[in-house]
Amino acid sequence: MNRRKFLGLGLAAVALAPVAINAIDFRKEKPDAWTAKTIDDAIKALYGDVKPIESDKIKIKNPKVASNGGAVPVGIKSDIDAKSVALFQEVNPESAVAVWTVPEGGIIDYSTKIKMKASGTLTVVVEGKDGKLYKKTTDKMEVALGGCEG
Amino acid sequence: MGNMKIKAKEKDGVVSAKVMAKHPMMTYDQAKKKGKEANFITHITGKVGDKVVYEASTSQFLSKNPLFKFKFKGAKKGDELTMSYTDLSGATVTESKKIK
Repeated sequence: MNRRKFLGLGLAAVALAPVAINAIDFRKEKPDAWTAKTIDDAIKALYGDVKPIESDKIKIKNPKVASNGGAVPVGIKSDIDAKSVALFQEVNPESAVAVWTVPEGGIIDYSTKIKMKASGTLTVVVEGKDGKLYKKTTDKMEVALGGCEG
Repeated sequence: MGNMKIKAKEKDGVVSAKVMAKHPMMTYDQAKKKGKEANFITHITGKVGDKVVYEASTSQFLSKNPLFKFKFKGAKKGDELTMSYTDLSGATVTESKKIK
């Protein structure tokens, strides 16, 4: 066996300098986050190599059984002093669903409707002003009718 | 391109807003099947005056005619809430409504 050995180059983790301005279009700033196939990759692309902490301060409201995967109501609440909130799921072709920028004086109480291709879990990541990441994952949600085909 | 329905109500200094954007939110998968271009809302903002009160970057996985519900402080009755979204094709839709 004459195999070449490749040395894994330890890339210096570039510290992400968070920009403290409003109006960040995360699609332009972090294009990789929107094509990432897994939640972990998407979090990495969005926030850098930071391990999120599991937190009970994030409340996710979602139905246990969603009859229509084309419009699953999801609510996110938290009292963490945050810069941004990101919503991911594990079953669609890409993981990221939406990223909210929390404006000054903003309250984290967001609801929207999302598409789910199949049964799966939702993950919410809150980026605190203290620079830490908080994470919460829901229980598996049953989706009766997948919502991505239409 | 469609429009938006906005409802905003102030109570005890907190404004609750409900916005429904009319948009097909065509995913890449759906577009392939139907032979159309994928198109979905990529960015939506809410402003009162010059102040941004809501901002979200979104993907194709929001539902058709997506609903955005949120709360914020720092506005009063009679102020105007201006919502504006941009979709993948570059179209921008802006609608305003007075806070009740």
